[in-house]
Amino acid sequence: MNSKKVSIILGLIVMILLSPLTMNASNGDKEEGVNVKEIMFHHLGDGYGWEVPFSHVYRIPLPVIVRAEDGKWICFSSSRLTKLEEVVDHKTGKTKLEAVPQIVNVNKDGKSYNFVLAHYSSHSNKVVQIFPVESDNDKSELKAASEISSEGEYGVDRVIDGYVLFDGQYYKEYRPIDFSITKNVLALFITALIVTLMVMSVVRWYAKKGLKAPRKGMGFMEMLIDFIYTGVIKSSLHDKAKQFAPFLLTCFFFILVMNLVGLIVIFPGGANLTGNIAVTLVLAVLVFIVINIKATKHYWKEIFWPDVPLFLKFPLPIMQCIEIFGIFTKPAALCVRLFANMMGGHMIVITLTLLIFIFAAFGAAATGGSVVISIVFSIFMLALDILVSFIQAYVFTLLATLFIAMAQDNGHHEEKHPQVEHASLPDPDNDEKKDGSTQVVA
Amino acid sequence: MELFTPELGLVFWMFIAFIILFFVLAKWGWPIIIKNMEERADTIDKGVEYAKEAKAQLDSARADAQKFLDEARRQQAEILRDAAKMKSQIIEEAKKEASEEAKKVMDAAKVSIEQSRKEAELQFRDEVSKFSLDIAEKMVRSQLKGDKAQTELVNKLLDEIENN
Repeated sequence: MNSKKVSIILGLIVMILLSPLTMNASNGDKEEGVNVKEIMFHHLGDGYGWEVPFSHVYRIPLPVIVRAEDGKWICFSSSRLTKLEEVVDHKTGKTKLEAVPQIVNVNKDGKSYNFVLAHYSSHSNKVVQIFPVESDNDKSELKAASEISSEGEYGVDRVIDGYVLFDGQYYKEYRPIDFSITKNVLALFITALIVTLMVMSVVRWYAKKGLKAPRKGMGFMEMLIDFIYTGVIKSSLHDKAKQFAPFLLTCFFFILVMNLVGLIVIFPGGANLTGNIAVTLVLAVLVFIVINIKATKHYWKEIFWPDVPLFLKFPLPIMQCIEIFGIFTKPAALCVRLFANMMGGHMIVITLTLLIFIFAAFGAAATGGSVVISIVFSIFMLALDILVSFIQAYVFTLLATLFIAMAQDNGHHEEKHPQVEHASLPDPDNDEKKDGSTQVVA
Repeated sequence: MELFTPELGLVFWMFIAFIILFFVLAKWGWPIIIKNMEERADTIDKGVEYAKEAKAQLDSARADAQKFLDEARRQQAEILRDAAKMKSQIIEEAKKEASEEAKKVMDAAKVSIEQSRKEAELQFRDEVSKFSLDIAEKMVRSQLKGDKAQTELVNKLLDEIENN
């Protein structure tokens, strides 16, 4: 049994090691270098369509919603941005299907709008509205602009600010306000739906079975909820836990599912959500809003008149500057931590996979070796990323809870202990009431 | 750097998605789950407490039962002892009464015997005196066969009376 397994694994390794030989034979000797940066950015970034699993040509069309230069909202399918074309590979002589960008012409209210998926532009991989360069005035402007930004590395294809190169011709470009349902946006909706279903399944169980404990998957879900609610939220917010629990639990599960969905390679997953700064930015801003809107008087007093020697706060507001800076750095740290961790994980996996193609240039043996090493390391990294997905969601929630708890501080630490001894008051929210009661006790 | 500049569209949709998710779950999700989990925890705590109490009650009931049993046994022994005592007492009393009765009967018998003896004695005396008189009469009669003897005796007796 064991020796059989070992022989199967050995056979697979040999096959993998030999496969580049046949690949090289068919591809010829000279192979042009892989554009690592472009592939990586393509995988980490957003897109207007969603790749059909295991195909680079076909995409699931998604709506593109843009606001044109004259303020009109325009909507069209992302499938119109590209067309399928048979391209002849100039090395092998074989023809293959490829998605080639094309100009989308939309007529609305008697006006014609032209859009294109920019490639050689400062807005790479985004939909831009284009205007033809026709008049002499425009041409001279283009010439002037091209002289300014002449450090392009593509020769003719160099990027000129404000212009897009398409089909060997420059067009004046305008980046519209873009509310398209892109791959990431759809992934967000799918994630939100998954989270809703997960939570509602537990709620439905309760509705049906009353106080019976959920089993299997739902039990795991409940365990996670309990882990976050009791372990994180309740232990630092105490009697205010119920007030903030919905927000923090939503944060945790949304981030966790986004992280995990991002690790799945094909359709419902594959969108690098938490590795996108826009997503983490929104989460951090929401945490910032919750911290500061619900903050107590004591929190603001600590910011504008902290308990430090007078010279640190009076003639020069040193402490105040630091504290105000701190208000913004706390959520910013949350935003960057989540973003960098998740994007880093994705980047490492992609790099490890790309190593195979980079090493392909050094011959068959190097390719074979790199294939084995890359696969082993990729699997290891993906397994680690599952752990990181959980840890990052946990850390985000934990820190958000701590920041909120800090802003909920009433500053009665010393008075609390004798008060508890005298009479077990159920911790009133009202500051003045509390002061009054302590006076009575005194 | 495309990766480090947040896209406005994505920010907008993320905000919308999160807010909708938050309101849906805050209304129909989390509070119900938290309430249920806490209720269940409370129920379990109460159950444990109840079981503990029940066990304590059972233990005390068992002790009580044992106590009652012991008490009953003690009472039983006492009753048995009392009964034995009473039995012997009754026997004793009966014996005593019987002997008293017997004595009474004996005394009465003695008295009657004495009486009859006295009566017999009296009768006997009478009989004896009668016999002796008879004998005396006969003797006297035989002796007083002549007139001289009779006159002598009559004189003697008259003397006796006179002397008296």
